[in-house]
Amino acid sequence: MQGLLNEMSSALQAGKAKMVKELVEKALADGVSAKDILERGLLSGMDVVAVKFKNNEIYVPEVLVAARAMNTGAALLKPHLAESGAKPVGKAIIGTVKGDLHDIGKNLVRMMFEGKGIEVIDLGVDVPMEKFIEAYYTEKPDIVALSALLTTTMGEMKNVVEAFSNEATRSDVVIMVGGAPITDSFRESIGADIYTPDAATAAEAAKQAIMRLRGKSA
Amino acid sequence: MNTMDWLKTAASQHKPMPILSFPGIQITGATMRELVASGKKQAECMKAIADRYDILASVSLMDLSVEAEAFGSPVRFSDNEVPTVTGAVVKDESDLEKLIMPEIGTARTGAYVDTIREAKKLITDMPVFAGSIGPFSLAGRLMDMTEIMVLCFEEPELVHATLEKVTQFLIKYNTALRDAGADGIVMAEPAAGLLSPNLIAEFSSPYVKRIIEAVQSSECVFIYHNCGNVIPLVNSIIETGAKAMHFGNSIDLSEILPLIPPDRLVFGNVDPSSQFRNGTPESVREATLNVLNKCAGYPNFILSSGCDIPPVSPFENIDAFFNTSMEFYAKADER
Repeated sequence: MQGLLNEMSSALQAGKAKMVKELVEKALADGVSAKDILERGLLSGMDVVAVKFKNNEIYVPEVLVAARAMNTGAALLKPHLAESGAKPVGKAIIGTVKGDLHDIGKNLVRMMFEGKGIEVIDLGVDVPMEKFIEAYYTEKPDIVALSALLTTTMGEMKNVVEAFSNEATRSDVVIMVGGAPITDSFRESIGADIYTPDAATAAEAAKQAIMRLRGKSA
Repeated sequence: MNTMDWLKTAASQHKPMPILSFPGIQITGATMRELVASGKKQAECMKAIADRYDILASVSLMDLSVEAEAFGSPVRFSDNEVPTVTGAVVKDESDLEKLIMPEIGTARTGAYVDTIREAKKLITDMPVFAGSIGPFSLAGRLMDMTEIMVLCFEEPELVHATLEKVTQFLIKYNTALRDAGADGIVMAEPAAGLLSPNLIAEFSSPYVKRIIEAVQSSECVFIYHNCGNVIPLVNSIIETGAKAMHFGNSIDLSEILPLIPPDRLVFGNVDPSSQFRNGTPESVREATLNVLNKCAGYPNFILSSGCDIPPVSPFENIDAFFNTSMEFYAKADER
């Protein structure tokens, strides 16, 4: 079984979506549990991708095709996972803040989160503060992740954080910020919880924050 | 003027050349919406900057929505922000076939050519550089930036066909900028900074090279701009034939300078966002000195910003950048 899962992980790392799909189908037919396929095939492959990306061994396009391959495989597993009652690591809502239409960084973070087994609700770009709050109540996420590329829109992050601060449940959610102009001192100044300089680190930090929030060890 | 000759002595003048034009609206009073639609207002903005600072050359606006808008991309305008492309127009082969090759003058391309004509009348004591987007960055705006990177693997023929079309247009557009009097063109190819060495060598640099070979002359030279992590990509960038390279602050400039032939100028790279826009005069001074201390020993280095300086950057920060450079080189000359 491990040989098949290793093959799946390698195909995912190479961005071969069709091959990943075939291998997931084969693993399911062989009776491998959906949870094992997800964790030991797909997510372990994305872990390798994240490490290589962080170490500048691979580049954004390679991450994007690997993530698409993972999503192709994960889509096949969804009904099986639901049937077995398997739960994602946690849940995040993500979006680029109001006034900002850039989405590459946000997409990368989404894919890296998914690669850690975190369920992600992507609110898209140009997301008003009210939509983050509304999504918070409907989705009940562990993480709210805000992206901005422009110096003129990073201020909107402060408005979103303040809006959450007015909610009674602020301590139940971790607010992450990221994007080219963002720094940790900016994060601190607006009262957000986590800043990371890259998508791979963001995913690791998100997973650990979820574990802390849920009272588990990472 | 003969810009090729000017390039040979440009670095020894010890003057900075930041990508500095948008903040001129704080002097001229134009809104961003007015500015990006009018060649005259852009030229006035460039002139205001040229009058205020002892700058090596005047550089026009880095507005990376102009060329995509000419192809029909939707663009969002605002009073205080640089325009942004908001949607893709090429999703498949049939979209590409329908894509009309714009004439010069379509949308705001005419205004940007006028900018150079007007700026050359107003600014007579230094070279005037025009701005243009690079081919992969333009194709990315037409196809969606995330999609084009996936399509480089999944449908490379479609990406190449789009690049072919945008390259033909960019040759026409850059020729028009040159013929309007531009002493040089800063070609911004930031999206290629996201690519691997293999992908940039296939999907960006050969097309940049074709444009440069078609347009570059002794009177109009190309400065290649890329603000990504360009160190692994440097050989491919050198291959484009650009006479000078402008790099962003995601790299340590002193690491790339030894890799560049000494007859090519290298510009960079004080952070426009965290320093010019959000820093303080003290932090700008420190960041500027940091770049100067590491790079000023290279005879082909010219101090610059890492990318274009945001419109509402405080002048006290920009002043600090110029003053620090002046003091640094004055002290160096004393030694």
